[in-house]
Amino acid sequence: MYARDVSAYAAIQARVRAMYSTLLNAQAWGELCDASSYDELIEALKQTAYRPYLEDVTESQLTPRRAIFQVKRRLADTYRTIIRLAPANTRVVFTQLYRHFEIDNLKAVLRGMVTGASWEQVLYVLFPLGSVTVLPARRMMEAGTIEAAVELLRGTPYYGILTHSMERYTAEQNLFPLEVALDLHYWRTLWRDANRLPGHDRTQALRVVGALVDLNNLMWAIRYRVYYQCSEEEIINYTLPFGYRVQDEDIRSIAAGADIAQIVTRLYPQLTSMDALLQQPQHGLPELERQLQRHVAAQCRTAFTGYPFHVSMPLGYLILTEWEIQDLTVVIEAKSAHMSTEQFASQLLMSCSAG
Amino acid sequence: MFYSQAMTEVELIVPVQHLLMVTNELADQGIFHQVDTSYMSAENGPDSARSWQQKAATYAALERQLLATMQLLNVTEGTPPPADDLTLIEIEVVRPLIEHIAEDVQQVNDQRITCQKRLERLESYLRQLEPLANLALDINALRHPRHIFSMLGVIPAANLERLQTSLARTPFVLLTLRQDHEKPVVWLTGAKRDADILERAARSAYLNPLNLPDFQRGTVPEIITSLHTATERTHQRLEEKEAEIKALHETVQQRLQVVLWRVRASRMMTEAVAHFGKLHHTYLIVGWVPAVRVASLTQHLKQVSNDILIDTSPIQRSHTRQNIPVALAAPGLLDTFQPLVTTYAQPRYDEIDPTILIALTFPLIYGAMFGDVGHGLILALLGWLIHSRKIHALRSMANLGAIIMACGGMATVFGFLYGSVFGKEDLLPAIWIKPMDNIMQILLIAVGLGIVLLSTGFLLNIINAWVARDWGRFLFDHNGIAGLVFYWALLGLGAGALIAEFPVSPVVFGIPAVGAAVIVMFSDVLKRLIEHHRPLLDGSPGTYAIQAIFELFETFISLLSNSLSYVRIGAFAVAHGGLSAVIFILAEMAGSPRTIGYWLVLLVGQLFIVGFEGLIVGIQTMRLEYYEFFSKFFSGGGLRYEPLTLLPPADK
Repeated sequence: MYARDVSAYAAIQARVRAMYSTLLNAQAWGELCDASSYDELIEALKQTAYRPYLEDVTESQLTPRRAIFQVKRRLADTYRTIIRLAPANTRVVFTQLYRHFEIDNLKAVLRGMVTGASWEQVLYVLFPLGSVTVLPARRMMEAGTIEAAVELLRGTPYYGILTHSMERYTAEQNLFPLEVALDLHYWRTLWRDANRLPGHDRTQALRVVGALVDLNNLMWAIRYRVYYQCSEEEIINYTLPFGYRVQDEDIRSIAAGADIAQIVTRLYPQLTSMDALLQQPQHGLPELERQLQRHVAAQCRTAFTGYPFHVSMPLGYLILTEWEIQDLTVVIEAKSAHMSTEQFASQLLMSCSAG
Repeated sequence: MFYSQAMTEVELIVPVQHLLMVTNELADQGIFHQVDTSYMSAENGPDSARSWQQKAATYAALERQLLATMQLLNVTEGTPPPADDLTLIEIEVVRPLIEHIAEDVQQVNDQRITCQKRLERLESYLRQLEPLANLALDINALRHPRHIFSMLGVIPAANLERLQTSLARTPFVLLTLRQDHEKPVVWLTGAKRDADILERAARSAYLNPLNLPDFQRGTVPEIITSLHTATERTHQRLEEKEAEIKALHETVQQRLQVVLWRVRASRMMTEAVAHFGKLHHTYLIVGWVPAVRVASLTQHLKQVSNDILIDTSPIQRSHTRQNIPVALAAPGLLDTFQPLVTTYAQPRYDEIDPTILIALTFPLIYGAMFGDVGHGLILALLGWLIHSRKIHALRSMANLGAIIMACGGMATVFGFLYGSVFGKEDLLPAIWIKPMDNIMQILLIAVGLGIVLLSTGFLLNIINAWVARDWGRFLFDHNGIAGLVFYWALLGLGAGALIAEFPVSPVVFGIPAVGAAVIVMFSDVLKRLIEHHRPLLDGSPGTYAIQAIFELFETFISLLSNSLSYVRIGAFAVAHGGLSAVIFILAEMAGSPRTIGYWLVLLVGQLFIVGFEGLIVGIQTMRLEYYEFFSKFFSGGGLRYEPLTLLPPADK
């Protein structure tokens, strides 16, 4: 078992460790946050591993939206590298994790259609999946109606889910049921794929994937109750019955009206001020989500210590990179809107202080 | 050989009337890496970058429309025509043609889809009604009962259990009428007073109520009969539409393929022109060309346009301010090793291309770990088979075949040096050393080889820093001169401590070791000092001192671990002999050499060694190259050289 793991993971763990060292450190974050303008921010970013992606387009083309798109290309390349190097039997998990961006693109296209956005407006909002995607995004945008766009997905894994949910879309004229159906399908598939991994990989994958499922499931349950005022039955149907730390009973308790702060504090004792956060859900829930993300990020970093020959190191690295780009998106948008560091620092997972 | 191809920056001033011919020639030569100069163009006007972008967008839309039409007709792209035929085609000429064909195809296809959808709907009704086939009652009585809540419908199988969970506190009955692994047919019923709860739960579980058309009335068997008749009629109509599409395929296939390649070439050409700079009556075209091809390109361009102005500027390696494309130039078989480099990173222009180094060291390290005449020859044969593309399924791995062949060849050489054939160490005399009998010696030699390779890595980094005029890295970096002195001084101290009566005094190594350690510790400050960056320190001096001490400690540990990492070369050479011995012991346990069991175990064992150990040794070699060697000098991040072309590279 040991020998098999070592041979399977030798190349990928060496590569991932090398890539891990290119994640932005505290000093780099300090410099990015302290940039006095958008242009200075881009110059600072060009001193990091994002340089080739930013230099790929001319300065005049490097609008904030385009810069975010370029930065995301690094994550796309990282995914492709890891999927290529991953042991064959684990590749399905990495590929499914990557599909998350495809689902986001699908939602963005559908939202673009509903709001009447042009292809040019939608293009750089999409994650740069390149040729990997099965979505004919542009053709969907040009299809005119949601029904016609869904029809173009025939033969993809999304067709069955969307056609079944279309009945509700037609009745309610709201993308919510389509998006929930896509999310549930995505996480069920990822959980199933992680469960099918053999031995040690399964345990490690469930730890990382489970932490993500927990985060999403918990936030869904809270949001459905607080924002959408869904009934108990609806909340249960719109959430997942599995997780790593958050169990189905916890979700059902939230659905049934139990004290959310108490449940979250019991599940994550290290999180504080839950009551205060939940009293002002407009600001509190995004902050709660960030705190949970920081918790998962810390868990991902632990994958880089100890026995390295398993799936959680590359999984953890991908999640850390994704969230680094999430933070970069905040900084780029904030700098282009001339916001001060104090105004956006709290929206980041990373700290802006270089120390 | 150690660097990517020398590049020359080429600037062309092209008269408007020769623009398309010159663009065509540039694409035809396939060596011109274009640089965007569209910022020089006017914002608007017929020849502005925006106007060309719009043209390119129109061609792209036409290309997509063509591809969609071809997909509907199941027409392939076909082979590209000769490059001479790929001239710009006017939008006004091609658009009506494409739209006319697309309209015809779309019309028939819409009718086909309508038939398909109707068929699907009818089949769905039949599937839903199938479980109720024996019920000779009016279906509407079950769908719209007076005194209870009732919902007959289809639900995704994954949601079924969740629906039951969500209704744990409400009395209900949920019957699965038709089992299906994707979408079972279910009947949900409960008290009328709970209708709202049941209805919301069902809806949120995506239970879609049975959807029978209003005209379908009567008992279930009556409805099923009528649905069967409708299905048959729709089938016939669908077949007619399929035949029409087949006829269209035959009629327009060739026309579509020709137009596709013309439109595609026009799109690529207009995209290229959109990135040119428009001056008053000329265009400015800027790009990069391998220096050795500049003369030939100039000659070709002059033949196309006498009025063209060509300015070329060869670029020094140290010009890192520019993003210069990197055209890797490994000669002959060496280019098969290039993927091993580009998998790690694309070299920068001012950086040594390590392809030749990996081509030399990869087989060497591999052979030293897997030294065996028999196994090496098998690997070499396997590599040759893959490389020769004789095995159809492995054609895409032809490059890898050459690497395997080189590794197999080197393993054979080391097999002779070790005197090992299929793990038998008594058939051949060892020309050099028998690893199993000289374990300490082989391990020390392996570490020695590691020291040589690491020192080479240091030197390469120093050369890279020199070429890039990065004096801070050159002098003070932990992989620069200071780092190399520190490393060699530590080696000297280590040798003095381990070897009795070592002829050199520890002071000779101690003084440079301390000096280099101090430089490495304060390398950041020193780099900022000579680069005139201020402030010299980011935080407080105390924090910096602590950080510097830990960084020095980390440098020391990594030098130690990097060097000892190479011990695995010797360890694998020893393990190979040990593993082979185990196979022979197992074979003898299975029977005497006269029995089939003996030879069977031996055969499986040898295959296991070639497959499993060969793979592990490959991975370990890659690890040594990437993690220990490349990390010393190779940072990558270069721009890939992508010459302008009107055809996909594979087709070229």
